[in-house]
Amino acid sequence: MAQPVLEVDSISKQFESVRAVDKVSFEVQRGEILGYLGPNGAGKTTSIRMILGIFQPDAGEIRVHIGDYSGRLLMERTGYLPEERGLYADATVMDALTYFAELKGMRRDEARTRVAKWLGRFDLLEWQGKKIEKLSKGMQQKVQFIASVAHEPDLLVLDEPFSGLDPIHQDLLKDIIRELRDAGAAVMLSAHQMNQVEELCDRIFVIDHGRRVLYGNLDDIKAAHGEHIVRLRFDGAAEGLAALPGVAELSIQGDRASMRLERGASPDAFVRSLPPTLTVREITVTRPPLHDIFVRTVGKENDETA
Amino acid sequence: MKLRSIIRWEFRRTLQSKQFILISILIPVIMAIAIFAASSSSGGRPSGTVSGPLPAYVVGLVLAVILFFGAFLSGVMTLYSVVKEKQSRVVELVLSSVSAREMMAGKVIGLGIAGLIQVVAWIVITYFVAGHFMPVSLAGLTFVHWITYPIYFALGYLLIASIYAALGAVMKDVQSGGASGIVGLIPYLPIMFAAFIVEHPNHVLVRIASFVPPFTPSVMMLRIGAAQIEGAPQVAAWEIGLSIVCLALGVWLTMRFAARVFEIGLLMYGKTPTPRELWKWMRARRAS
Repeated sequence: MAQPVLEVDSISKQFESVRAVDKVSFEVQRGEILGYLGPNGAGKTTSIRMILGIFQPDAGEIRVHIGDYSGRLLMERTGYLPEERGLYADATVMDALTYFAELKGMRRDEARTRVAKWLGRFDLLEWQGKKIEKLSKGMQQKVQFIASVAHEPDLLVLDEPFSGLDPIHQDLLKDIIRELRDAGAAVMLSAHQMNQVEELCDRIFVIDHGRRVLYGNLDDIKAAHGEHIVRLRFDGAAEGLAALPGVAELSIQGDRASMRLERGASPDAFVRSLPPTLTVREITVTRPPLHDIFVRTVGKENDETA
Repeated sequence: MKLRSIIRWEFRRTLQSKQFILISILIPVIMAIAIFAASSSSGGRPSGTVSGPLPAYVVGLVLAVILFFGAFLSGVMTLYSVVKEKQSRVVELVLSSVSAREMMAGKVIGLGIAGLIQVVAWIVITYFVAGHFMPVSLAGLTFVHWITYPIYFALGYLLIASIYAALGAVMKDVQSGGASGIVGLIPYLPIMFAAFIVEHPNHVLVRIASFVPPFTPSVMMLRIGAAQIEGAPQVAAWEIGLSIVCLALGVWLTMRFAARVFEIGLLMYGKTPTPRELWKWMRARRAS
């Protein structure tokens, strides 16, 4: 496998008596989106700030590999959308965005061109001369996003990019994030909406109490943590369903049945064992949503430590 | 390269702010009227009539006061600018692009250039407004003034601005200075004793204060200005030299200290720390 763009190696950070981040390690590859998840106060923002070089970790190392370069963080090649949004309210959209791109090492004229391109993409071109405080919250949100991508970073860290956006712009943002990934960016995405994470992310990392609780390929995690859910529309008698191999839970409403299979039970074996007295109209086999896995894993952790 | 962008940004934003324009015009007009009132009353003539030429030494003293207030006000602007950026949370984005040191340096230099322009505007406006009431001659300004005043102004500004940048970084908002806020008033102290300094420029306390960096700029400029009064004792050249060395050293130490406080304080939200807590942070930081 190629060198990851971001390599986080066992970083820790202590604040007074609180261990905010405890030996966290992970990688983000070129062209992938890593979901970085965790409940509030789990150590997400602290670890993100260390990755961006805003804080130094007490222990551990953060390396980046971009092209031929290997070493410490390159601020110029990194884009950041902070959870706590903030822009120069009394500056114009164009001036503020150009300035942020300049801080990423871009030349002024080049910065203006790129910013204009992105403003066009978000339908904000006619607002470029307006002061940021005159914009609606959703528009400010888009401006903040542009500030993180205008310099076309190799590593993009997005903290809650969807909050405050309407569904149409959430979709636009998702498309853009996918495009950036396809163009080769390594994206680290933190979000509370698990359905968004499921749609976008290739792999996920879950942090709680400063420690890793889950890390890996989304499908693998689902396979390891979730039992299959089978939903059925049928004609005929439903009595036999409960006795089928692997069924852990069953609920029937009219001609619809929903079953949770036991962990490790094969959906294939289940389908083959359906009785001939039952005519299947529709059938879906799914994994439980990431939402459930998240709540269960993080909830369990919290119970243990409480 | 980045530093240049920060400097230009801070400079432009300051020039565009309303407060800056207002202060640039208002202060010298008040100054000029004060000079006129003072000189016409000291001359024993009824106020309102055109008095004789301004005593030569007054020009130097007025210049000292203007320069000191210029440095002081630009320092206050640094504080406001940092607090505002901290409050609007824009600081997080800036710090993901540049180091805290670069950010502080850019602010101090950018606002300093704006402050310099402001001071020049003050001097020019004061000169013309005062000159409208009475003849003003610059003959009272000697070679010593021309050399030392700019140095005291520049170093004095750097000292005050770095103290204020650090203060801004640890303050929650402009209203709650707390105990740390008093630190910001220290350089201002000598101005309260300005009359004493002018009358006794070589008093032992005044001479000692000349070598204490936060006091150096105001005390020395007043002393050098007062030396033009007839029969007043002169300021020894070695005192000027030593005071500049002490001040430069003070500036260097303060900037180092301030940069560290700035770095730690910027992303700490919540209450303004007490000086003791600040000291604890610094020690913890050094240990790690």
